[in-house]
Amino acid sequence: MTIATSKRRPSLSKKNVSRLRTVLITVVIVWCLAPFFWLGMTSLKLGDPALNDPNLFRGPFGLDNYIAVFNQGFLFNLRNSFIVASMTTLIVILSGMTAAYALAKLPVKRRITLMTLVLAASLFPPVALVPPLYEVWRSLGLLSTWEGLYISYISFSLPLAVFILLTFFSAIPGELKEAATTDGASPLQIFRMVMLPLATPGIVSAAIITFVTAWNEFLLASTFAPRNAEVAQTMPVAIAAFTGAIEYQRPIGTLTAASIVVTVPMILFALIMQRRIVAGLTAGAVKG
Amino acid sequence: MSQKQTEAPSKTAGARSDSPKSFRGGLSETWLARLFISPSVLLMLGVVAFPIGYAVVTSFQQYTRRQYEGFAGFDNYIEVFTNDKFFDALAFTFQFTITSVSLELVIGMIFALIMNAGMKGQGITRAIILVPWVIPTVIAGQMWNFMFNITPGTINSLLGIGDFNWLGSSGWAAATIIAADVWKTAPFVALLLFAGLQTIPAELYESAKLDGAGAVNRFWHITLPLLRPAILVALLFRTVDAIRVYDLPEVMTGGAFGTESLSMLVKQYIVITPNPGVGSALSTVTFMLVLAVGLIFVTQIGKNIIPNEGNSK
Repeated sequence: MTIATSKRRPSLSKKNVSRLRTVLITVVIVWCLAPFFWLGMTSLKLGDPALNDPNLFRGPFGLDNYIAVFNQGFLFNLRNSFIVASMTTLIVILSGMTAAYALAKLPVKRRITLMTLVLAASLFPPVALVPPLYEVWRSLGLLSTWEGLYISYISFSLPLAVFILLTFFSAIPGELKEAATTDGASPLQIFRMVMLPLATPGIVSAAIITFVTAWNEFLLASTFAPRNAEVAQTMPVAIAAFTGAIEYQRPIGTLTAASIVVTVPMILFALIMQRRIVAGLTAGAVKG
Repeated sequence: MSQKQTEAPSKTAGARSDSPKSFRGGLSETWLARLFISPSVLLMLGVVAFPIGYAVVTSFQQYTRRQYEGFAGFDNYIEVFTNDKFFDALAFTFQFTITSVSLELVIGMIFALIMNAGMKGQGITRAIILVPWVIPTVIAGQMWNFMFNITPGTINSLLGIGDFNWLGSSGWAAATIIAADVWKTAPFVALLLFAGLQTIPAELYESAKLDGAGAVNRFWHITLPLLRPAILVALLFRTVDAIRVYDLPEVMTGGAFGTESLSMLVKQYIVITPNPGVGSALSTVTFMLVLAVGLIFVTQIGKNIIPNEGNSK
C-alpha cells in the first residue's frame, strides 16, 4: 500500500534507522514463527530419546507420528470441526448480512439502542451458556451432535459478524442508494444489486473471522460434545485430550503432528487472505 | 459530512412508521428493515436471551444431583459468595486479566510502531503477525505446555537453567499461562493499534518536527492521544476476552496451582459436580461481571465505535 511512503519520517541517519527496523521486524517475525519451527521439528522426531531431548536436531526423524494421528481418527475430528464451523458461518452470515444492512442503511427505529445491544451481545461470555444449554440440550438430545454445537455458536458469532458487517455497510456512500431509488429500484433490488456486490469484501472478511472463531472454539465444544470423534467431537477437543499412539506414552509426538496438520493449512490461509482478515479484525478500531 | 444530508429523508421516514415513498411491486424500506432484522433478533432471543433467562431462573432453584428440589431463594448465591474456590478463581482471573492485557498492550504497541515505521516487507510482516491469532488456542496451549515442561525442556535449555518445573509451582504456573496468552494475542492487539496508527495524518508529525518536537514528544503528544479510540477498542476486546478465559489454563494446568478461572469453575459445577443451581448462579455472576466491565468501556468509547452513516472516512 501507499502508507509506507506517506508515513516516512527520517531522523537519525537513514542507514541506521533502516538497520534498526530490520532488526525489530526480525524480532517480530521470530516471536510469531519460532514456536512453529519447534512444533514442526518435534512432530518429525521418532522415539522417546529424540522427543525428550531439547535439541531440535536430534533424530531419528520420520513421518510415523503423522500416520499415528490419522489412525486415531483425527480425520473425523477435522470433519466435525469443518461441518460445525461451516454451518455456523452460513447461518450467521445469511442472517447477519441483512441485519447489518438494515441497521446501517434502512430506517430503523431505535437504531442506536439496537447497535449498542449488538455491541453488548458481542461481549457475551460463552460460559453463561454452559449451565442452561447443557440442561436444555440434554433433554432435547442435542448433546454430542453437530446441531448442539453450531446452534450455540450463533450466540457469540452473530453479534461479532453483525458488528463487522455494519462497519462495511456504513462505509458505502448513501448517494448510491439515492441514485438507485431515483432510477426506480425497489429497496430489495437496491440491496441485491447495488449494496451486496459492494459489500462483498466485508462479507468475506466477516465469514472468515466467523469460521476461524467457530473452528477454534473449545469451551462449548468440550462441554456439549466431549467424546467420540465419530459423532461430533471437534478438533480442539481432540487436541486437548490427545493420548499417545501407544498407551501411556507421552503424546508429544502425535500431538505436535496433529497440531501441524491443523496449523499449516491455517497459516497458508492466513497468508493468502491476509488483507481480508485484517480488514475485518480492525473494522471497529479504525475510527478517527 | 455530505452524507448527513442525504440520510435525512429516510430518518423522517423511520419516525413516521411507514415510508411515504411507495415503490412499485416492492416492499417499503421500513418493512424491508423489519424483515431484514427479524432473523437475527429471533436467533439472538433463542440462543442468548432464553438461555440467560433460564440460567437466572435456575440460579434460584435448589438441586441435589440434578434433581429439582424447589425454590432456593438466594441460597445458591450465598453458596457462591461464601466459597473459597470462587474467590480463588476470581483472584486468578483478575491477575490473569490485568497482567496479560497490560503486557499485550505494551508489546502490541511496540509491534504496531514497528509495523508502521517499516517500509520493506510491511505486507509480509502483517501476514506473519496474523499467524498466532489464527492458531487454535488449544494448540497454542499444548505447544507452550510442552516447551515449558521439564521434558523436553526447550525453555529451560534456552534459558540455560536446570530442570525448573514452570507449570508445577504456584505463581510460575500462572506466569506461564500469561506468557502463552501474551504470545498469542499481543500480535492481535498490534494489528488493532496499527490500524489506528494509519489514520493519523503524516502532516501532524511533519509540523511537530518543524516545531522541534523529538520522537518521544511526538509519541506522547500526537500518537497516544490520537490513538485513544483504537487503544480503547483493543482494551475492550482484550479485557472482556481475558475475563472469560478458559482454553489456556484448562489445557496447560487443568486449573492446578491456583490457575482455575471463573469459566472453568462454572463448567466444573455443571458437568463434574452436577449442581445446576450453583452453576447457574456462578455463571450469572460471571456474566454480570463481564457485562459491567464491558459497559464501562463502551460508555468510554461511546459513539467512536458505533458506526454512523456516511463515515466513509
